[in-house]
Amino acid sequence: MKKDPTRKITPRAIRAWQWSAAFSNLIYFFIPLLYATFFGYDEGFHFWIVIGMAVAIFILWLMGIVLFPYLRWKKWRYSIDENEIDLKRGILVVQRTLIPLSRVQHVDTRQGPILRAYGLATVTISTAATTHEIPALDEFTADKVRDTISKFARLAEEDV
Amino acid sequence: MAAISRAVDLIRGNLITIIIVLVFGASGGGGPSFLWVFIGLFVFLLVAGTAGWWRFVYRVEDGELQIKQGIFVRKHLYLTRDRVQVIDVTAGIIQRMFGLVKVEIKTAGSSSREASLSAVTKSEARYLTSLLRGNGIQEEAAEELEPEYEEKYFLPGKELLIAASTSGSFGIALSILATIFSQVEPLISETEMYEWFIRYIPSDTDLFFIISIILVFVIFAWLMSFFGTLIRFGDFSLTIKPEEMVITRGIFEKKRITVPFNRIQAVRVVEGIMRQPLGYATIYVESAGYGDQQGSGSVVLMPLIKKSEIRPLIRKILPEYDFNTEPLRPPKRAVTRYIIRSSFVLAFIILGIYWFLDAPSMIWIFMIPGVFWGWLRHRDAAVGIDLDRIMIRSRMLSLSTAFVRRNRAQDVTSSASWIQRYRNLANLEVSVASGDQGRSFNVQELDEEDARHILPWISKLYQLQVGETFPISATE
Repeated sequence: MKKDPTRKITPRAIRAWQWSAAFSNLIYFFIPLLYATFFGYDEGFHFWIVIGMAVAIFILWLMGIVLFPYLRWKKWRYSIDENEIDLKRGILVVQRTLIPLSRVQHVDTRQGPILRAYGLATVTISTAATTHEIPALDEFTADKVRDTISKFARLAEEDV
Repeated sequence: MAAISRAVDLIRGNLITIIIVLVFGASGGGGPSFLWVFIGLFVFLLVAGTAGWWRFVYRVEDGELQIKQGIFVRKHLYLTRDRVQVIDVTAGIIQRMFGLVKVEIKTAGSSSREASLSAVTKSEARYLTSLLRGNGIQEEAAEELEPEYEEKYFLPGKELLIAASTSGSFGIALSILATIFSQVEPLISETEMYEWFIRYIPSDTDLFFIISIILVFVIFAWLMSFFGTLIRFGDFSLTIKPEEMVITRGIFEKKRITVPFNRIQAVRVVEGIMRQPLGYATIYVESAGYGDQQGSGSVVLMPLIKKSEIRPLIRKILPEYDFNTEPLRPPKRAVTRYIIRSSFVLAFIILGIYWFLDAPSMIWIFMIPGVFWGWLRHRDAAVGIDLDRIMIRSRMLSLSTAFVRRNRAQDVTSSASWIQRYRNLANLEVSVASGDQGRSFNVQELDEEDARHILPWISKLYQLQVGETFPISATE
């Protein structure tokens, strides 16, 4: 049996995720908006539906800022050794993935505008079948992780 | 000839557009304008085909294939001999009419589909093959010298008929028919045929009428899938060579698929719901690179085979996939979750009908198949490992058993929702490369302990750690 991965990601990730959630989740407010344009909101029934949806989405939006980024950060664990990359994450559904280093085809780091503002970067690991991410590491760590994976991947002999 | 073949290729590539145009043309009043659109389209395709042919040139220089193509946007393709994995020479209907062949040159990547010469003479094809194959002409000659190394398998007529009549494409055929019917329906409703129907069918036989229409549909769909499978898998042969296997199939259009052994990622045995009771199954292989259809890496290795013959066949042609291990099954307490998973959508539908359409409470008996299905899925799910292989069996509608070698598995993931964690259950998923993307096999609701034991199976260290003892289910 294998031990759980141990390394955590930067707490700064929470801030970055909060911003990105604040922006990207705004789109859900279109749902009551669309409903209102289609059915109107004059009548009592439709009015309350629109209000209900708006309130529910607002609460979810708020939780998406206040709660989920923190929980997501708290649950994220990874570790890398010369044999495997081990990832564990998820709030409601906890997922754990093992990727042997000999299957890694390429790794890269990427940053969006928000991550860049916080000096963070995401490491992307691709195999022949799947792509995995270690999100929002600070730039220095991300580069180190990427180089480490790349080095180990080159060393890992193809076990056929 | 090549121009015609290109035009046909274009028609095929744009079939959906053409159908849409035709349907719109037909519903948009029809008449002479529709005819003109049709003729215009045809002429355009012919011109495009000719132009495409005119602008397509290729040559082989120093063992490098160079293709220049494209009418307006020129595309240059250079392919060195070392990169060529497979050269497939096929003949479709059009090509056969003119005694020509199509040459497809494939590399490890799958974007290489562009390296396809749609109409060349047979001698040209042979010459090309000899130029691009490994060491050129000598190897070709050597290959011809030792044909006894090959082994051939065929699909007997009886098996082909069974395969056709139990084909799973039945459902697809049904949906295609339904789409066509929904397109044609406004046409019919205005014709005399419809009036004839209305006049001759007394209104009190409504139910009978509906049932018979459904029956006609089902029979039609079955016939479609029957002949579809017959045409697709007729004249099937599987040739085992030292380095690769070659599958040829198809009655009108010969299809030829070459799968090098070192590209195989997984083997999958699928027992369709109609085939399972008869004791038959289909064998697929997942190959990295290219498969039956564009993008997918699944190749039908055997369209139909008796279950008892699967093991011997695999042992013979893919011995590294043959293994015997005690499968681990989801624990008994997981059965409720399987049943809920399988039947809650159905429950919602029935609830809707019951609530809004005032249906009799009798309709709740339709829940039984859903519950049964869940029970069946729980019964069939299993996972088994040995040091170098994993077997994952699960059922959607058909029962599918996947075999993956450890060194071909790309990753393993276990996942558990909070309810599953509470009940100590977990899902397990193994990904393999297949075609352009990947494919994953999963088994749901394993005992958490088991899942946690199997997870590191993919690790190189696993062999050292586990060695002699195997994970034994905590529940059994």
